[in-house]
Amino acid sequence: MKNSLKKVGILLFLVVVAIQFYQPALNQNPDQDYTNDFIITTNAPSNISKLIKTSCYDCHSNNTDYLWYDYLQPVRMFVEKHITDGKRELNFNEFGSYSNRKQQSKLEAIGKQIKSDEMPLTSYTLLHRDAIINEVQKQELITWINSIKQNSLSEK
Amino acid sequence: MKTLFLTAFLAITIVSCNNKAKETETNATETQAGSIELFACPMHPEVTGKKGEKCSKCGMELTEPVAQSKPDKNTQEPSLNNSKAKVGVLGADTSVTPLDYVNDIVICYLNLKNKLVKDDSEGAAEKGKILLASFNRLDTKTLNANQKKAYIDIAEDAKEQAEHIAENAGKLDHQREHFILLSKDINDLIKMFGSKMQLYQDYCPMADDGKGAIWISETKEIKNPFYGSKMLTCGSLKKTL
Repeated sequence: MKNSLKKVGILLFLVVVAIQFYQPALNQNPDQDYTNDFIITTNAPSNISKLIKTSCYDCHSNNTDYLWYDYLQPVRMFVEKHITDGKRELNFNEFGSYSNRKQQSKLEAIGKQIKSDEMPLTSYTLLHRDAIINEVQKQELITWINSIKQNSLSEK
Repeated sequence: MKTLFLTAFLAITIVSCNNKAKETETNATETQAGSIELFACPMHPEVTGKKGEKCSKCGMELTEPVAQSKPDKNTQEPSLNNSKAKVGVLGADTSVTPLDYVNDIVICYLNLKNKLVKDDSEGAAEKGKILLASFNRLDTKTLNANQKKAYIDIAEDAKEQAEHIAENAGKLDHQREHFILLSKDINDLIKMFGSKMQLYQDYCPMADDGKGAIWISETKEIKNPFYGSKMLTCGSLKKTL
């Protein structure tokens, strides 16, 4: 019994070691062009821009601040999948290139996701404590989003 | 021994989960490419056929790709009493106008709406997928510059809403949130291109957290897609389109 337990242990260890060799490309683009960036195009005030950058940009932009454990498998695969999905849904670096209608829809969706606490994901805030948006910040953010929504509407 | 298999299985599942995202991406591009099957004669654009075939008028090889200018019969879902519509008829000399495609899109939207009225989340997801495809069938080259700009703007957003509805079977509330935005898009689409059918713009003051939202219906009778059976007859007729 003891022997087979040892075998399983060794095998598990080997599997963990083996998957470390699978390292997909990092979500990092030092040459990122920020002309279409959300914070630039919307002229976000500094408190809002700081909040969005810490709480959202890791998965919704072309640059992620990885933490040491993000490099370990299988965490790596899990994180990378979230980033791919997140960027497909909304990429703040490309926000300015979206059509006006899409920008409005996205603003609407951002507001809803934050209001209903669906974003940032709990699996993310679990270890990124600074990304948690507290009630006061939540209100600030939602009010600001609503204000830029109306702005772009009145431009029409 | 059992645990041994279990660990191996676990490792395999983790790896395969990761690949899923890539798969869906390639699928999307494949379907887009798949819609270009027709080729036209470089001299007679009205003559179309498969690649390599000869033009019936001048005998030249058909080389110009046509992005499916005529809807394929088999992929047609719309049926909502559109007896007069040319859509779905692969007639040789009946040209299909952009309005026919828009009409198609509207019918797909109405089918989706009716699933939401019935609180049928799975059905709505399926109709969302069909709606998404209907947007991809309209060839923007057939539109004038103004129409093209407006259409791309609307379609870009509406397709995303349709996609979300398609991917969120089982989450009726989430589907309905996207349906609010989708309805706005469809409303603007009809405003831009007109409609072949008698349509009604209905309004629900409660939807979207009390902000109110519109939907488009083919019946005069109110059947609320935002709440379904909970508040089926809640809402009011705002406009006849």
